[in-house]
Amino acid sequence: MSAPLILLPGDEVPSDHLPSNNSNPLKLGPGLRLLSQPSSKPDATSHVLTATQAGLVTTDAKRNTVSILSFPNRRYIPTVNDLVIAQIHHSSIDYFHCMVTPHTAHALLGQLSFEGATKKTRPMLKQGELVYARVLSVGVGAGAEVELTCVNPATGKSEPGGLGPLVGGMVFEVSTGMAARLIRASSSSAEQGDVIDGLAVLSELGKKLESLGGFEIAVGRNGKVWVDCSNAGDSAIKATIAIGRCLQTTDDKRLNPVDQKKLVTRILREMKLA
Amino acid sequence: MRPATAKWPKMVQKKTFDRPRRDSSPRCAIRKMSKEAPLSVAEREFILEALRENVRLDGRGADQFRSLNLSFGDEYGHVKLQLGKTSIVVRISSEVTKPRDDRPFDGLFNINLELSAMGSPAWENGRSNELEAYVTHVLDSVIRRSNALDTESLCILKGVSCWSIRADVHILDYDGNLTDAACIAIMTGLQHFRRPDAVVRDGQVIVYGVEERVPVALNITHKPLSITFNAFNEGHNIIVDATRKEEQSSEGELVIGINNGGDVCFLSKFSGAPVDAMEVVTRSNVALEKVKEINAQVERVMQADLAKRAKKGMAEESRAENDR
Repeated sequence: MSAPLILLPGDEVPSDHLPSNNSNPLKLGPGLRLLSQPSSKPDATSHVLTATQAGLVTTDAKRNTVSILSFPNRRYIPTVNDLVIAQIHHSSIDYFHCMVTPHTAHALLGQLSFEGATKKTRPMLKQGELVYARVLSVGVGAGAEVELTCVNPATGKSEPGGLGPLVGGMVFEVSTGMAARLIRASSSSAEQGDVIDGLAVLSELGKKLESLGGFEIAVGRNGKVWVDCSNAGDSAIKATIAIGRCLQTTDDKRLNPVDQKKLVTRILREMKLA
Repeated sequence: MRPATAKWPKMVQKKTFDRPRRDSSPRCAIRKMSKEAPLSVAEREFILEALRENVRLDGRGADQFRSLNLSFGDEYGHVKLQLGKTSIVVRISSEVTKPRDDRPFDGLFNINLELSAMGSPAWENGRSNELEAYVTHVLDSVIRRSNALDTESLCILKGVSCWSIRADVHILDYDGNLTDAACIAIMTGLQHFRRPDAVVRDGQVIVYGVEERVPVALNITHKPLSITFNAFNEGHNIIVDATRKEEQSSEGELVIGINNGGDVCFLSKFSGAPVDAMEVVTRSNVALEKVKEINAQVERVMQADLAKRAKKGMAEESRAENDR
């Protein structure tokens, strides 16, 4: 693993920072763009990867991805393949009109873009309900429509798992940077240890709340985290609030892993869960 | 000349308006003032369910305020208030003007509040919304009309000149409970503000600069603050200092303006689900407790700041070397 590399918008990603796995095509995450560079020789245009946002270059060798880990800004700009938590605003014949971020143009989610959905079995989502969806396309230029999907068009399955309507639970707001870290922390395998990206809060909560039946979490890149603890019975609400408070405090105060563990212990004791 | 009793805070009572409600469901948020993004069904249900168990999203008790943080700018009467994530700046300013013809002994006092797009993306610049009118009305009633600032003391020369005090409220960030936060900030600003000294000599009004004479504090008759209560679950849960999400899932609110002495100077139940009459009585006791608590904190922070200023001022004067 090479030293951490910070890029500014317009900087090229050096090739030694790219994953060396050649069996899969390289996938680009948010904050990067592939540009073709005309060279002096004809028929030999070379391609370069440049950053569109300032941030830390992060790679995942197993999934062969490279992305930019940006600063925790509050504004979310949709990027293709991002997982987001969207709220249904209204529905029309072909589409559900969803809010990904408040006070911006609605994103479209096809009425049939759900796993196994046909005209008769499609989910009847009402205003204010939540869906976990993937950004399918963002369009080009001003006024372009963002399209969401809850299904992989190639396989007809909800990939990655868990896409679809979110029922019950509670949504907490975090910064977009925190959401990105949470996604990476929850998708990385446990062999890397407890601390991923300086985040110990999720694994610590998982350990402490295991006796209550664990919890379900869905992280949207638009800075929303959906938490559900319905297995916990009577203490479900307290556990949900405890998780939300731990995540938000970690985000607001930028706690390090040691403080995160202390925070989890303190909040669980405060909520009389531990 | 106004009777002396007019100085005392008047009891202003607002009756309950029984406005026809479009939504028959009591759970639905009545407050549709600001065009904030609507809450999702899950969030609303969860907040109500949690309140049924007496738990709030940030772990506070029902009668607990968020952490209140007050700081002062370089000049007198420049207050920055932070209540949880709600953030407000208040600037008090003064100028000499002509008093109104029908009130030659009174100075002027105005509160200006504008919701700009800086505070929340739901607000538009230059377009007033219902929330703005509502908050302005409450602030006006609690602070201005209860005579918290003695306007008669602002008179310089009868019918000719008087002080005009102006409080400008800027909302930097909005996370619920605008009314109480703005009220605390304005009252703190008024207590902190110092106006230039002015005297009348041979029928001439002379205003001294702050370097010439020590500026004068305003005459505060009493310190009223508003406390907003939000009701949930058919009036079973009543909380203070609601966040934006809590406000959005609330079924109605009750505002009590009260001072340290327990004089209620404002009481309103504008809209929303009805609240039991006994609740109003018990909540005014809670409000009194909160007002005493907040006023004590304001006093503490302000005295610390004024002491710092006095020390700095003296150090400046007693310095051996001076600018030539």
